[in-house]
Amino acid sequence: MLNWFYIPLQGIINGLLTGALYALIGMGMALIFGVMRIVNFAHGAFLMIGMYATYLLFQATGMSPYYQFPLAGVLLFFVGYATYMGLLRPIRGQVDFMVILLTMGLALILTDAAQLAFGADYHQINIPLLSKNIHIGPQISINAPWLVSFGIAVVLACALYWVVTQTMFGRAARAIAQNPYAAPLMGINVNRVQAIAFGIGSAAAGISGALLLPVFYLFPEVGNQFKLKSFVMVVLGGMGSIQGAAIAGLVLGVVESLTSLYWGNEWALAVDFVLFILVLSLKPSGIFGSQRA
Amino acid sequence: MKRFFVLFSLAISAVLFWAGCSKGPESNTFKIGVITSLTGSNAAFGQAHKNGYTIALEEINARGGLLGKKVELDYYDDQSRPDQAVQGVSKLVDQDHVPIVLGAYSSESTRAIVPVVTQKQVPLIIPTAVADNVMESNSPWIFRICAGSGSFAAATLDFLKNNGDPKKLAIVYENTNFGQSNNKSMTEAAKAAGLDLVDTEAYQASSPDYKSLLQRVKGKNPEVIYFASYLLDASTLMRQSEQLNLNPKYYTSAGTGFAAAEFPTADKGAGKYAEYTFSVSQWLPSAKWRGSAEFDQKYFALAGSHPAYHGMEAYAVLIAAAAAIDIAKSDQPAAIRDAIKQLNLAETPFGPVKFDARGQNLHPVLVTQVQGGQYKVVWPLDAAESKPIVPAPEWSKRK
Repeated sequence: MLNWFYIPLQGIINGLLTGALYALIGMGMALIFGVMRIVNFAHGAFLMIGMYATYLLFQATGMSPYYQFPLAGVLLFFVGYATYMGLLRPIRGQVDFMVILLTMGLALILTDAAQLAFGADYHQINIPLLSKNIHIGPQISINAPWLVSFGIAVVLACALYWVVTQTMFGRAARAIAQNPYAAPLMGINVNRVQAIAFGIGSAAAGISGALLLPVFYLFPEVGNQFKLKSFVMVVLGGMGSIQGAAIAGLVLGVVESLTSLYWGNEWALAVDFVLFILVLSLKPSGIFGSQRA
Repeated sequence: MKRFFVLFSLAISAVLFWAGCSKGPESNTFKIGVITSLTGSNAAFGQAHKNGYTIALEEINARGGLLGKKVELDYYDDQSRPDQAVQGVSKLVDQDHVPIVLGAYSSESTRAIVPVVTQKQVPLIIPTAVADNVMESNSPWIFRICAGSGSFAAATLDFLKNNGDPKKLAIVYENTNFGQSNNKSMTEAAKAAGLDLVDTEAYQASSPDYKSLLQRVKGKNPEVIYFASYLLDASTLMRQSEQLNLNPKYYTSAGTGFAAAEFPTADKGAGKYAEYTFSVSQWLPSAKWRGSAEFDQKYFALAGSHPAYHGMEAYAVLIAAAAAIDIAKSDQPAAIRDAIKQLNLAETPFGPVKFDARGQNLHPVLVTQVQGGQYKVVWPLDAAESKPIVPAPEWSKRK
C-alpha cells in the first residue's frame, strides 16, 4: 500500500508545517544576534506575551488569531524597542555577560509576572478552523490551522529577508554588524537602528506566539522550549544568518517529526540538542555559516 | 560602625528567633491539611477537588464541626508539581501542625509525598491517585479511598470480554507515574487474559502534537486502544485521531482525562471527538449510592457544572477523615490513624468505605461511555444505565 512512502511523507509534511513556525521564531533571534551580538534570553518570554495578548483579545472579541497576529507583532515591536532603549542600551559597552544576565532576568520577571497575572493554568482555545483537514489522497492529511500558519510564516520570513537585504534600514543593520565602529562614522544612527532591529526580532517572536495559540497550550512557561529551540536554530544556521536560521527551523521541524515517527515522542525533544551538539562539535560556524562564530 | 553592626545583627537575630518560635495554632478551629493542584496543568482537577472539599466542609460544620471546633481546611497548591507537593507537606505539618493530610491530586505528586508523611508520622488519605506504587510502601500512615490502576485494567478487560472480546490491544500512556502505572497494570492484565499487545506508546503530556505517535499506532491496526491521559492530552489525542482517521473498534481509557467533566465539552475538552470513548469511572452522579444525587445537586449549585468522580473523591476523603476524627475523639495523628484503620462506613455517597490491611479501600470500578455528550454507565450490568455502542463508528461516518 506504499506505506513506506506515504508514512514518512506525512511525517515530513508535518515537520515542514511545524518547522515554518520554528523558523519564524529563530529568524527573530538570528536578527537580534546578527545585528547586535546580543543573545536574547527573553525571546521566549516575548513569544509568551504575544500568545497571552492574542488569547485575551480572542476571549474579548472572538477574533481569530490568524487575523489578529499583526497586533501581537506591533505590541512586541514596541516592547522590544523599549527594552532595547531602556534596558540594553545603557549597558551596551559592558561585558557580554551583563547583557545575558539582563535578558535572563527580564525573562524571569516576565514569566513570573504572567504567572501572577494569569495563574499557572494551561489554556487552550478552540476555533472552527481547528477541525478542518485537507486531504491529499487517502493517505495524507493536513490540519488547516497549520497550513495557514505555514503560509503566514513563509510570507513574513520572505518579508523579513527583503527588509534586511533591500532596504536602507537593513543595509544600516548589516553595516553595524560588520563594523560597529565605522558605522556611526558613515552617518548611521546606531542606537535607533539597533533598537528597531530588536523590535523587529521581538515582533517575530510575538507573531509566532499568536500563530501558536490555536495549536498549542498557553501557560506562563511556554516560551522556554522555544527559546531553547531558537538557540539551536541560530547555531545550526550559522551565527546571525537569517536565512540560515529559517532553513534550520525547517530542518529542526522535519527531524523532530521523523524522530517522533520512528523512535517515539520522547526522543523528539532530545534530538534538537543532539543536533546542537553535533553542529557545535563538527561545524561550529553552522550549516550555512561562513560568518564569524 | 562596628558597634552598630553588632547591635543590628543582634536585633535581626532576635526578630527572626521570635518569628521562628511562634507557637502552633492555639486557635479555636480544627485544621485539616489539603494538598491539591489548584494551578498548573491539572488545575481543572484541583478545582474539582476544592469543590468536593467545600461541600463536605459545609456538611461537617453544619453538624457542629469536630471535637467541638469549627473545621478549617488548610490548602496547599502544589501547582501540579511533585516537588511543590513535598514542600506542601512540610508547610502543613511542620508549620501549621495539621494532624492529617488529604491529597494530592496526581499520582506523581502523591508518590512524592508518601515517604514524607510517613517520616513525619501523619496520616494521609489519598483521594484520586490511582498508580499502584503509591500503596507499595506498606506504610501504616497511607490510606487510599479510590480504586487503583490494577482495578481499572481488570474492569476494562472484563467489559471487553463480554462485549465483543477483541484481541488486539494498543496502550498509549503519558509518561509520569499515572501513565506508567496504568501501562504496567494493563500490560500484565492483558497478557494474563490472552490479549495480543500490538503496540505501546509513551508520550509527554504537555506536547501539542501526537500525530506521529498516532500514526504508529494506526500502522499496527489495534482493535482496542487503552489510553492513560490527563485532560489536555486526552482532548488533543482524540482531535488528532480524527485528523489521522484512526479507527479502532474501541477507544478505552484509564479514566482521569477521559473521565473529566470538561472532556465532552467543546471549549475545554474534546467536544464531539469524545463521543463513543469508554472510560473507567469511580463514581457518577447517577450512581445508586445514597447521597449521590444530592451531592450532584450541591456541586452544580456551587460550580455550575456536574461533578466527575474527582470531586466526589475529595468529598469522600474529607467525610472519612471527619468520621475517623469523631471516633478517635483526638487531634493526635497516631490516634486518628488508628481510627481510620478501624473505619467501616457502610453507606456514603461514594459507596462503602473500609480500608483493608494495606490501607486500600475496596472500591468497585464502573465502565462508562460518552453517549450524546454525556457519560453513561455501561458496565457492570447491575449498575448499567445504557447499552454500550460498539464498535465506535468510523470518523468519516460520524456527523
